[in-house]
Amino acid sequence: MAVCAAIIGKDNSSKFFVTLNPDEELHFQYKVLSSLDIIEDKLATGTKGGADTKELYLGMLLSLETYKIYGYVTNTKIKFVIVVDSTNVVLRDNEIRSMFRKIHSEFADIVSNPFYIPGEPIISKNFTTSMKNIMTGTV
Amino acid sequence: MNGSHLNEEGSQIDRRPIITCAGEIEVFSLIEDNLSDALPQDSHEWRRSFGRPVRSVHIGGVFVPYSPAALPKPNSWDLIRQPVFHVYWTDCSDVEIYKSSIKEDIESWLKELSSKDIVDWLIVVVENFDGKRTNKLLPRTTVLDKIRADFAPKQGDRCVSVINPGKIESRSADSWRGLVNRIRHLLLTAYAKAIYRLEEHVRQQRERRNEPSWDFMHYFSLQEELAQVLEMLQLYDEALIQYDELDALFSQFVANGITSDSVGWLSNFQKPLARWHGLKLGYSKLSNEPSLLELRAYLFAKQAHMLLLTKKVWEMASRSLPFLHTCSKELVILEVTAPPGAVDCWLFLAAMEVLVTCDKHNHAEEVEEYSLHTAGVWEYASQKIRSLGELCGLMPGDSPASEQLHMVVELSAGMGDNPGTSDSPSPTDKLKIALCSKEAFNKMYLELAELAMGTYKHIGRLRSARLVGRELASFYMLVGETQKAAAFLSDVLKTFEQDGWRELAAQTQIELAECYLKADDARKYARACAAVSAAHEIDTLIRWTYFDDMCKCVKLLKEPLIVPFNDIFKILSVYIKNEGDVMQDNDINVELLIESNFPKEILCTKVAVTLESACEFTKDSKKTQEKIFAGRLLTNKDMQSPDMILQRVKMRKNLDFKQDRQLAAAGVSSKFTELRRKSSMPQQIKENFTDCLEITNLPLAITPGLNLVRLKKQATQIGKHLLGQIIVHMGNLHFVSSTLTPRLAFEVKEEQPSLKLYKKAAPLLTGIEQNMNLILTMGSYSIDPNSKIKLITSSGLSIHTDLGAPLQNSLEIEVGTNVPFSSTKRSLRVLADAMSKDQQVTIHVPWSSKPIVVTLSFAPPLVATWKLFTVLKRKYVQITVTGQCDVDLVILGVNLNVGEMCELAEKNCVSSQIISNGSSYSYIWELSIKPDVDAVIKAEFSLVYRLLNQTGENKLFQYFFEISDYQTLYILDTVVDPSKGSEFCKIGIVCHLHLTIENNIRSNSEEAVKSIMYEVLAEQSVWAVCGRTAGVVTFESQEQFQTVVLEVMPLTSGHLPLPLVRISKYIPAESGNSDKSKKGDSHPRLEPFSPGQVYSKSKGKQLHVIANASETSQ
Repeated sequence: MAVCAAIIGKDNSSKFFVTLNPDEELHFQYKVLSSLDIIEDKLATGTKGGADTKELYLGMLLSLETYKIYGYVTNTKIKFVIVVDSTNVVLRDNEIRSMFRKIHSEFADIVSNPFYIPGEPIISKNFTTSMKNIMTGTV
Repeated sequence: MNGSHLNEEGSQIDRRPIITCAGEIEVFSLIEDNLSDALPQDSHEWRRSFGRPVRSVHIGGVFVPYSPAALPKPNSWDLIRQPVFHVYWTDCSDVEIYKSSIKEDIESWLKELSSKDIVDWLIVVVENFDGKRTNKLLPRTTVLDKIRADFAPKQGDRCVSVINPGKIESRSADSWRGLVNRIRHLLLTAYAKAIYRLEEHVRQQRERRNEPSWDFMHYFSLQEELAQVLEMLQLYDEALIQYDELDALFSQFVANGITSDSVGWLSNFQKPLARWHGLKLGYSKLSNEPSLLELRAYLFAKQAHMLLLTKKVWEMASRSLPFLHTCSKELVILEVTAPPGAVDCWLFLAAMEVLVTCDKHNHAEEVEEYSLHTAGVWEYASQKIRSLGELCGLMPGDSPASEQLHMVVELSAGMGDNPGTSDSPSPTDKLKIALCSKEAFNKMYLELAELAMGTYKHIGRLRSARLVGRELASFYMLVGETQKAAAFLSDVLKTFEQDGWRELAAQTQIELAECYLKADDARKYARACAAVSAAHEIDTLIRWTYFDDMCKCVKLLKEPLIVPFNDIFKILSVYIKNEGDVMQDNDINVELLIESNFPKEILCTKVAVTLESACEFTKDSKKTQEKIFAGRLLTNKDMQSPDMILQRVKMRKNLDFKQDRQLAAAGVSSKFTELRRKSSMPQQIKENFTDCLEITNLPLAITPGLNLVRLKKQATQIGKHLLGQIIVHMGNLHFVSSTLTPRLAFEVKEEQPSLKLYKKAAPLLTGIEQNMNLILTMGSYSIDPNSKIKLITSSGLSIHTDLGAPLQNSLEIEVGTNVPFSSTKRSLRVLADAMSKDQQVTIHVPWSSKPIVVTLSFAPPLVATWKLFTVLKRKYVQITVTGQCDVDLVILGVNLNVGEMCELAEKNCVSSQIISNGSSYSYIWELSIKPDVDAVIKAEFSLVYRLLNQTGENKLFQYFFEISDYQTLYILDTVVDPSKGSEFCKIGIVCHLHLTIENNIRSNSEEAVKSIMYEVLAEQSVWAVCGRTAGVVTFESQEQFQTVVLEVMPLTSGHLPLPLVRISKYIPAESGNSDKSKKGDSHPRLEPFSPGQVYSKSKGKQLHVIANASETSQ
């Protein structure tokens, strides 16, 4: 179960941010922002290796005392970030990956919506609900 | 090296294999030192089972005297502390002695070994060569041969001889090397077996880990033994794996085992924390009953040691944070109680120890690598010391209470003693000092935080650095150093804004505002308040508070404070309402749609849009390459630069041809031309607001949300103008937008006066005075009323404006008083000479140097035509005049003058004649021409008239013409006779047409035409000409008549006009004798006669044709 999920645009600006506990949102925003540094590092070294590395999952970005932050980046450099409570030992790498894949597919749906302008923050009740479902693992 | 390590306490853990020595010990003791030195000097290949890679290892050994009691029992796993290899030494060289005593000794030795299932043994025969020995013949059998034959007939390598290495000779060196290699090989084989057995045992023990009696610490020491063996063999990476396995196993137990009862041993680690001695990297010893932290620390120290031995400083650094996190997590899971701050102390000390160690093993080339990991550790350390400081009341603005002082004492005691040297105090020393005084704490915290930030910056993690900066800012705020805090916060804000994290940026704005408030900087506070109150991300109540604060600050401002628009006001559209160009002195109207993000209404003292002249712009635009917008409505969509993703990609086909024009490759290519760089420089806010469109009714209330603002300005300056920035003033708080891009432009133009000369509806006529209209239309500006318009006409045309004044060729008119866009009409009298046709008026105007040229066409009031009529040889001339003037003309008299050539007889009756427009009047005269006259007659017709109902002079109309070829040359006569025997011509009956041509040419006439061609031009529906229709007749000299008979047939009945006959001059084709003036025509030609030269008598005659009887009867 993730406690926070974020979608970050190509320009590193936050497009979508959801936390299970709304009071903690600001706190998580700082954390996710700092993880952007590591995403940038990984992307910079990743591109050197090969042009088409198909691996979108970036693995764990940051391990904090209480949280672990995982990253995923699409081919169009949209970043997904998930924050997981580090006491949660049940959550394996595979579950994180599948969570990201679900987010990716939800995001693809949002972008395909003709009423959504790419690059704008995502404001959609449905999307928020499905993201929360993905985070809590009810999907 | 080689497993014998002195740790700091001086105790030794020796994991070298134990080798026993039997036989003649004194022989061995001579070479023992040499051997134990030589063994580990070279590496030896170690082949292992289970497909593990071959490693090259160094092996040493400990030699002990042989004792049967110390031999390990069969199937014992603990071979590490037992002898693994056995050597029998002898220097016997005499076979006889061997047979008598040595053999028995070896036999009993081997027997003992084999009874314990030991197969790892070696028999060494030490030979002493003294150079004196003359080796005439090799002895048949040596002791070695004997031993081999007796004890190892199939294992020759178990028995070796060695030449006493006491003497340095090449031979002895060779045999020595052979011995060492052999021992190494056999020792390793034996040792490998021992290790394998140990590994098996470890595995077995691990499998039993869920049994209640299993104890982790026992297992720990067992596997650590294996690790130590591997470490002895210098296989540090494999040793590390053993420690890592232990680490993982323990973690798993803690994570999973706490719920189950089977792991009773775990309760040993759940005791309350009594000591929190700092982590020490290097050689450490595990106490008998370690606490969780001690076990963890020991394990990490071991791992770190292995990593440092393999020169992986960066990996140690990278493992440190997860290690610290694991420790604190496990303390929580195991519910270990600890005094407040104790864990933080421990974590801080551990972090510092790692950092100090990193610093010690600092290699220049690795700084980059481990900085990636140490940055986080620095930050962690700074966080820990800060929380300790908060706990102990050491933060600025706080003073430790007695409880807190007590706590410090307790914490310091728990840390234990770990004194460092005076120049490099240990982390424990430092922490103790920091906890004792506020100053030391401040210094330490700031140092650590700055280091964390610096390291983050160094590795390019700006965001993390900024977040540390944020922490620092909050600390400085507590200290009261608002300037430093503001500097950090501004950096933080900039980063957040760059990344577009609006909520965080807004939050930082609040912090910044607080900072400025504390610093008592009203200007900056007002600016921050404006930003906060306009941020949607923040709670409305907070926004209201800051908005009110901003309003208060504005009143205090003494000088204008310029604040960029940013997110406070959003420009939605700018619309120039004027259509087309703006005329000078007209109003420029601009409609502005802006969105105010303030939570409440604001009263603006000024709203304006600056204007820039385009000529300045073109100068600038070369540098900035700004675009001018084509339309007049600029919306926020236009102002954003288009998103590349949403653009259609322009694809182009791309064909590559080889040299022989064959297609080599085909593809599509797309060029991304729009790789524009955003200018990082903030737009300069120009402060030239002198020329701008303003709002008239002030103050204007701008409400939250959309506001439509209409701006106006009279256009005074001509030329192209660009809209610049939008400014909104709220007292001394001036909000200024950046320059609108793309640029919205409009042009202010002036209109020149125009002057036009119009004629009235009727055409212009010569000889009659008429009126025209001169119309002057003023443009966008008025001109000097005394300036003059000058009209100059071409000759033959005279004009004037005044009614009674004489007409002139040139005229000057004053412009007179005028207002823009008015027009004045003047009547202009015009008179053109009778004979002139096209005239010009050139007008010079004061507002332009270019004259206006007006072309006027005049027509005469009457048009005359003439015609010549012939009756045999008599001639008549008829003149017809037609009126063109819309005024009736009264003819007062006519006259025709032909000079002396002939006489005239007028055939007109005298009456009053009025010619109205379009009607005509004819006059006729008979010419009495003498038969031999042939010259051209010049005629002059003149007519005196006046305009009806108008006084004034009578006017004269003249018409000149010439009459030529007027003498009658031929007279034609045609007669149609019915066919013979019939009285009438009948339809369908051929009749004879008699054509008589009378030659009337005077014999003396030179150009008498001799040959004439006639043609019958019968109407085809009436007459059918049978046979020939044309022919040529030639008049011989003095011949008067020529008659031709032709056959014609009437086709209808009734009175039919006779067929027409036309004659023409016939000029035969050139023959050789003709004169050369003719152009050598090879074909005969026809030339028509002039109308007066031929007279046809039968014109108008008719013939009565009756219908054929047979046809009528039908």
